[in-house]
Amino acid sequence: MRPFDFLEPSSLPEALSMLAEHGDACCIMAGGTALLLAMRQRMLAPETVVSLGKLDELRDIAFDPDAGLRIGALARHADVAGSSIVQAHCPALAGMAGGLANPQVRNQGTIGGNLCYADPATDPATFLLAAGAEVTIAGRGGERRLPLRAFLVDYFTTALESGEILTAIHLPPPGSRQMLYRRYLRTPAEHRPVVNIALSAVTDGGALSDVRLIVGAATPVPQALAQTEDFLAGKSVNAAIAAEAAALAGAEVEPLSDGRADAAFRRQIVRTATRRILLDAAGLDWKDNAA
Amino acid sequence: MASTVIGQPVPQVSALEKVQGRAVYAGDLAFPGMLHARVLRSPYAHARIRSVDVSAARALPGVKAVVTGADVPERRWGVAHKQQHVLAKGVVRFIGEEVAAVVATSESVANDAIDLINVDYEPLDALLNAGSAFDDDAPQVHAEGNLAHEIRIARGDVDAGFASADLIHEDVYSTQSQYPGYMEPMATVATVDGTGKLTVWTATQSVFLARQRLAEALDRPVSTIRVHQPAVGGGFGGKIVEERSSVIAAFLATVVDRPVRLGLSRLEDFQSGCFSVPTRIRLKMGMQNDGRIVAKEVDILAECGAYAGLAPEVMLVTAMRSDNMQRIENVRSRARLVYTHTMPRGAFRGFGGTQMLFALNSHLATMADKLGIDPVDLHRRNAIRTGDTSVHGWSIGSCGLPECLDQVTGAIGWSAKRERPETGGVLRRGIGMAAAMHVSGNRTMGNWDGSTVTLKVNEDGRAVILTAESDMGQGANTMLSQICAEELGIPLSHVTVLAPDTDTAPYALGSIASRVTVNAGHAMLKAAKQARDQILDAAAAKLGCDAADLSIVEGVVQSTVNDNLFAPLPEICRYHIFRHGGEGILVTATHDPRTVMMDKDHYGNIAPAYSFAAQAVEVEVDTETGQVQVVETWLSDDCGRAINPLAVHGQSNGAAVQAIGWALHEHLQFEDGRLMNGNLADYTMPTADALPRVNSSIVESNDPNGPLGAKGASETAILPGAPAIANAVYDAIGVRITDLPITPEKILAGLAALGEKNHASV
Amino acid sequence: MRRKTLSITVNGEPVEADVPANRLLSEFIREDLALTGTKRGCETGVCGACSVLVDGKALKSCLCLAAQADGASITTIEGLGSRDDLHPLQESFMACGGLQCGYCTPGFLIAAADLLARNPRPSDDEIRQGLSGNLCRCTGYQGIVDAIREASEKMNGH
Repeated sequence: MRPFDFLEPSSLPEALSMLAEHGDACCIMAGGTALLLAMRQRMLAPETVVSLGKLDELRDIAFDPDAGLRIGALARHADVAGSSIVQAHCPALAGMAGGLANPQVRNQGTIGGNLCYADPATDPATFLLAAGAEVTIAGRGGERRLPLRAFLVDYFTTALESGEILTAIHLPPPGSRQMLYRRYLRTPAEHRPVVNIALSAVTDGGALSDVRLIVGAATPVPQALAQTEDFLAGKSVNAAIAAEAAALAGAEVEPLSDGRADAAFRRQIVRTATRRILLDAAGLDWKDNAA
Repeated sequence: MASTVIGQPVPQVSALEKVQGRAVYAGDLAFPGMLHARVLRSPYAHARIRSVDVSAARALPGVKAVVTGADVPERRWGVAHKQQHVLAKGVVRFIGEEVAAVVATSESVANDAIDLINVDYEPLDALLNAGSAFDDDAPQVHAEGNLAHEIRIARGDVDAGFASADLIHEDVYSTQSQYPGYMEPMATVATVDGTGKLTVWTATQSVFLARQRLAEALDRPVSTIRVHQPAVGGGFGGKIVEERSSVIAAFLATVVDRPVRLGLSRLEDFQSGCFSVPTRIRLKMGMQNDGRIVAKEVDILAECGAYAGLAPEVMLVTAMRSDNMQRIENVRSRARLVYTHTMPRGAFRGFGGTQMLFALNSHLATMADKLGIDPVDLHRRNAIRTGDTSVHGWSIGSCGLPECLDQVTGAIGWSAKRERPETGGVLRRGIGMAAAMHVSGNRTMGNWDGSTVTLKVNEDGRAVILTAESDMGQGANTMLSQICAEELGIPLSHVTVLAPDTDTAPYALGSIASRVTVNAGHAMLKAAKQARDQILDAAAAKLGCDAADLSIVEGVVQSTVNDNLFAPLPEICRYHIFRHGGEGILVTATHDPRTVMMDKDHYGNIAPAYSFAAQAVEVEVDTETGQVQVVETWLSDDCGRAINPLAVHGQSNGAAVQAIGWALHEHLQFEDGRLMNGNLADYTMPTADALPRVNSSIVESNDPNGPLGAKGASETAILPGAPAIANAVYDAIGVRITDLPITPEKILAGLAALGEKNHASV
Repeated sequence: MRRKTLSITVNGEPVEADVPANRLLSEFIREDLALTGTKRGCETGVCGACSVLVDGKALKSCLCLAAQADGASITTIEGLGSRDDLHPLQESFMACGGLQCGYCTPGFLIAAADLLARNPRPSDDEIRQGLSGNLCRCTGYQGIVDAIREASEKMNGH
């Protein structure tokens, strides 16, 4: 790993002024799990690393009945998983965070760092998109808030501008919304998801409305399956509907191919994942319902 | 009276230091003035080295030496094929081959210096596919051609056997290379003392074979080199004599005349091998309607990569070892080993057995199906038995295979599960089984398979064992300590096994071919009995009685006829020294089993004993994702006698999981000869959460040639896992996978093909 | 700021050190403090052999800068228990065959200590999930799972 200057601001304004001073020659470090790997493999060689480790105010997790959940960007995955607030107001988020990567990484990696790194082979972004999350970004000119959809630009690329820091993630109050999340590994011995899927919908007397169906890990950035969402609107899920939705999802997903799996395989998993998450949401058993 | 030591599940003698993190591995060692080495590797699968410019690297502050192929001895090293230099000279033959090395004051300076070395390569066409090795225009890996080794074995009348068969089945199987995946990447510290003597601490399975190879590679007398074995973090065959980094580290120490440490990164450990030998096996077998095997013919194409190493010996095992598991008279094998421009492949736990036992057990299951016979019955019907001499001349002193089959099929509920109705649905369950055999010892090196143990009993009655048989975690030192403690009548905690050291320990071959328990165990038994006799003779003289009436019980020499006659062991040990003509108790004993080397036709009883194993598994196949999950596994190992059941279960469980990894998860991915997944995130070895409870049981067949009846228990257990899983997958979904690993993609493709076939037949 | 002054506690002892900013926590522990029980197995955060407790939580020290640990209390395997006063996990790893070559053992013990701190009575499945960040090639994990269950029972007074 190349030598670098290590800066540890003790407040957000100090952090922002350090970023302004060092410009593109610096990297922001949150938990550091992904950044250090990239630096050790010399994919990144910053002159300066600005560690946010002392900004404890960015670790807070809070809930407000009107505003919903606010998760500080530096909350570690284990903090999110173990938070009684998260467990009470969005248990599916706690479940997602508690199954991510492995215990040691959950103890160190942060939810904000995860989103900023924008590695597709991970879980939070898929879930948070389905939850309708927004993010707050601090810059020298003040804060801006934008939908997570707009924040996630591409493979390892976000809307974060030079000199900005992601400070918080907001989830709207769940209301009567049902949320499910599933992670698919190619084999039980792999730990990064090959496909993940999140479903968020309002179930009104059985019929679905305001459906959000997001797949990730299969695609450069998590993809909203818009046609499938439209198809599902107003429908009550049964085996035939789930199968039809699965076919639609398989058709509209634009999967990537890499060393871990090719596009055709990922497409098949997306079909499967779609069918199963819909049947799970409807309380039906997918094991007996092969498409 | 039941022994309190033998047959007891005692913790490893190294466990206390290991749980404290205080076992010292090669990479943990540090010496005053120690320097650090790094290696530059070839980015080309095949290239001529036109020139190497090291001037910038040499000029970097902190760099003490930069060496290339031009600086290393001319003499080549190798097992039978002498092919390698300390660093590549003139030509590189695989991506990752060592081209230059740097010694510097820190690893980071050495790394920087590596980046400053400028090599001018002339890329050449590379042979990357074993199947193309004999093409007219195939690039030649070595001047003598691409065929590294060929074996032909024929016994009985194979053609007549096939003519008498009611059923003949032929198929082609392929198996991929497996990375040993020991948790300790190769590491070595080497130093030269004021007399010029070279001392090397390295992660090895055999200090004497390591010393022999260093002598050859560095072209210096054996006795000018001393090799120590520190704690070793697993070997699985990869740390016998094929890894190359210890040779480079030792050479570098001679160049800088100071201590040098070379610890490979995980990526380098992947790049430099040593992986198991991949094979393509055509297997043809004839059976009568009752399931009796009447003829077997195999044709094997195996790949050793750039250098032969131990791969010829590995391929011999693939070609003929499993023939000995059955009563079979007519067999014919042809096996060819080819070079490619890829990393060297060679020894791996199971030593060629895993490959053929995958093919054989898959084949037997298929034929059993065709004949309407339960595969367990098919195995029983053909199984070799105690007292038999096999087709290749192996004398089977004990065979617990039938009992192994009983145990695993009973435990998994084989009959009930075979009879359960098909359930349909998305998740399908299936069961499969497989059986295996392995040698315990192998007379193959210079007509000696002996083992020597030196035992000192100190003046306080405690024992010190000197041996160069090695413990890489499998429990050899615990086994030796248990036998010693039992014979001397002392607590296990009073026995110390010294780490292997070529200058103090008697000559030994080390931990290969499952030979340590069966041979070193015997030598230990003999040494301990000799020491015991000396103690009792001294005690008889001191107590004024007959030695035959004395025994040692819990550290006290006691008369068996007169309760008043006794003396604490330390008192006798001191008496043994402190008298006219006295001396400390120091005995050395050797055991060389009465085995024979194979003749030129590969016939002969090579091992004192043969181990057997069987495994039954249940899998669940997700027909939509292609994922195979092992949901239950039972493995039974006939280890003769379990001197330490805790260690035997540990071996069985570890082997079963390594086999699950090979069958389902582990696959080296190459692109133009470059390893694309040389890291532990992308080369996915099973973690605890990927596995079910792993069950193992023990069959004690009490081999007449084994020490206290024991046989080897580390390698047989890895053999049946992959075919048991393949057979269970077939049982679950009707898809026969003949090429490992069994990936989700292959499962989905197989199901799709099956669907089309069924659709077409409707 | 190419260097960083650390003020930390390691296995109960205060440590002051001046390290390069790019020093990994694993390098600092192994080379500067000579606590070689923390192992180097993959250097990419997969194998878990370098796990240590930082403020009671297991981390992979190859994915962490020494500088990040400033102010923290670190427990390495050398601090988990002593020869005469072993941690219950150390005892049960010995008794249950939770180790063979021993190279992964420190990392597993640290991961297990973290697991039992979060979940004192884990099921076998929870134990296996809790070990998903650690690789062992010798034991097949069964002895390790058995050992953690036994330690959990012992620590909970069974």
